[in-house]
Amino acid sequence: MRLLDLSIAVLDGITQLFGRAVSWLVLYMVLMTFANVVARYMYGYSNIALIETVLYAFAIVLTSTAAWTLQRNEHVRIDIFYGRRSPRIRALTDLLGTIFLLSPILWVVWTTGLPYVQRSWRLGETSAEVAGLPYIYLLKTFILVFVVTLGIQALSFALRNLRTLILGHDPDADPLGVPGTKA
Amino acid sequence: MINEYLEIGLFLTAIVLMLLGFPVAFTLAGTALAFAIIGDWFGIFQFRQLNFLPQRIFGIMSNEVLIAAPLFIYMGLMLERSKVAEDLLVTMTKLFRELRGGLALSVVMVGMLMAASTGIVGATVVTMGLIALPVMLRHGYDPRLATGTICASGTLGQVIPPSIVLVFLGDILTYANQQANLSSGNFAGKSVGVGDLFAGSLVPGLMLVLFYAIYIVVLAWLQPSSAPAVRADPKEQLTRAERWRLFANGLLAPAGLIVAVLGSILAGIATPTEAAGVGAVGATILAGMRARPDRTWVILSGVGAAVALMVINGLGFNLLIQRQDFNASEQAMLYVSFGLVAVLAFSIGLSLVYVFRTQVLTPVIENTARITGMIFAILIGASLFSLTFRGLGGEETVHHLLESLPGGLTGAMIFVMLLMFVMGFFLDFLEIIFILVPIVGPALILMGADPVWLGVMIAVNLQTSFLTPPFGFALFFLRGVAPSRVRTQDIYSGVIPFIALQLLALVMIAAFPVLATGLPDYLFR
Repeated sequence: MRLLDLSIAVLDGITQLFGRAVSWLVLYMVLMTFANVVARYMYGYSNIALIETVLYAFAIVLTSTAAWTLQRNEHVRIDIFYGRRSPRIRALTDLLGTIFLLSPILWVVWTTGLPYVQRSWRLGETSAEVAGLPYIYLLKTFILVFVVTLGIQALSFALRNLRTLILGHDPDADPLGVPGTKA
Repeated sequence: MINEYLEIGLFLTAIVLMLLGFPVAFTLAGTALAFAIIGDWFGIFQFRQLNFLPQRIFGIMSNEVLIAAPLFIYMGLMLERSKVAEDLLVTMTKLFRELRGGLALSVVMVGMLMAASTGIVGATVVTMGLIALPVMLRHGYDPRLATGTICASGTLGQVIPPSIVLVFLGDILTYANQQANLSSGNFAGKSVGVGDLFAGSLVPGLMLVLFYAIYIVVLAWLQPSSAPAVRADPKEQLTRAERWRLFANGLLAPAGLIVAVLGSILAGIATPTEAAGVGAVGATILAGMRARPDRTWVILSGVGAAVALMVINGLGFNLLIQRQDFNASEQAMLYVSFGLVAVLAFSIGLSLVYVFRTQVLTPVIENTARITGMIFAILIGASLFSLTFRGLGGEETVHHLLESLPGGLTGAMIFVMLLMFVMGFFLDFLEIIFILVPIVGPALILMGADPVWLGVMIAVNLQTSFLTPPFGFALFFLRGVAPSRVRTQDIYSGVIPFIALQLLALVMIAAFPVLATGLPDYLFR
């Protein structure tokens, strides 16, 4: 049991650290979009590479935060039935869901994504725009980052639900014990 | 035999599994995958088709229109977390409480302004339920009117631009419209973008505001006891100067920000993403002033600098910097403008520091990031779902189904609207539009539906669904924060007149599509 606790804590820690770090890119997007607006409307100056950095930041935030959302249990659920079940039944739902629904998706995205990304690396794929950022292959790699981060968190999620299944409650649920609800 | 009904099986299985409560995004994708394997087994689906998945995912990642979404989410969360939105509501109630029905009218106005920037149902209903409901009840408002007004106004924001759900709906409609044009061979068909949908939903949205307001005024007039004027006791009585200060600080600033964001998009000056970036910075500045009222003047100097920059721009000085031939006055103006930009940058930086120190900035960006991650997961789930659904021949099935309904476009629209209405009891806005619109959108557009009109109908319809007892989400959110002496029955019966108003609006938009299409046609063509 202690090993289980430790694994969950470590995996959650990784997810959280990564998510927190990535979220600062949101601020970058805000400020850079604004700066580009000023440069364009005041001085008729637009730098495609700079504008594309916002797109890169967006793509990174998009792909890298799904795991953190899972850790916080903030993915949208339909909880008309789920919400009324005992912690054990909920944990069982989540455990089975992780094994039979989430894991196969990760597998498919990984197996189809890997050759796709490798091809991009081989070609050294650059931007469609002439003056754009020449790092499309790096950007595409974030499809795999999505799989890895979500995979790590899926493992932790499965272990956590396994523990709940054994104990009958989640020892580190928040005081309200509220699972992610629709927001 | 089985293989002909696989796509229907996929749709139904996905819904049943979603009801079990595992996250919707993963359920959608996982079910689709299982059916892809079954389809491959029966030889009607080729598993290789899933090789398009990474392409699709990358398409989402590099979609420039979608960048507007996190920026608007940031703007909405910033206004909410910094309590600027709360101040707006408090100010409105202070200014208008002495009118009959004034508190309810304030809620409607705030719903319009606040939700305009968020479009996240729960947040607005909860905020108003916590702040305005106790005030209204204390001053003798009928709990039915109070709760009905809050539910309806809190969901109104989805329909009013620039809500984030309209950003996504607009993007999906762009694609559905292209598909319809392609398959009908109409390569010169009109294109539709997020800006069109923003413009199209403005008039219907304001019409709803007007309907709500008329209902409240008429009710307050016929039945003064249900929405009494508040007699403030003398020590709470506001002087004229106080009124003006409240008006300028609490009302004018946030309202101005939202009008500026929306106006710049509708005037065709800025793209939705650019406007969202300006809105996000504007919200940060307002939040900064709220955090340190004693430093307002420093931050205001930044706002002044921004205004001065716009004036310089408006005066027609040529400051395009990628050239050499500046004359003396242009040269001087260039340096002035650099100075102003520096002042602006300083005030933005200062606002960020204040917002960070008051523990607002970090939660705002973290929440924005996680909501973005949540939306991405749903997008991937819906992509995989529609890839499989199409691969199994679902598109033809839907097309045949819609065409075989009596009444042509009208019959098909009624069917789709009812389907969405019922799905609205279980799923929220984004899932419904990500799942259904790519499937039914092209067919409906081919049958003659205007894409903007279709989008507005969907938005108003879903908003109505979220209000409808016993499953409407707005009702759950309000029940969660309403005091226990407000009976659930009151909430249910209070919202019914508003549902009637919604249906009236829906019928009017259906009968007079120009309500939706008029403004975008006027502005952009």
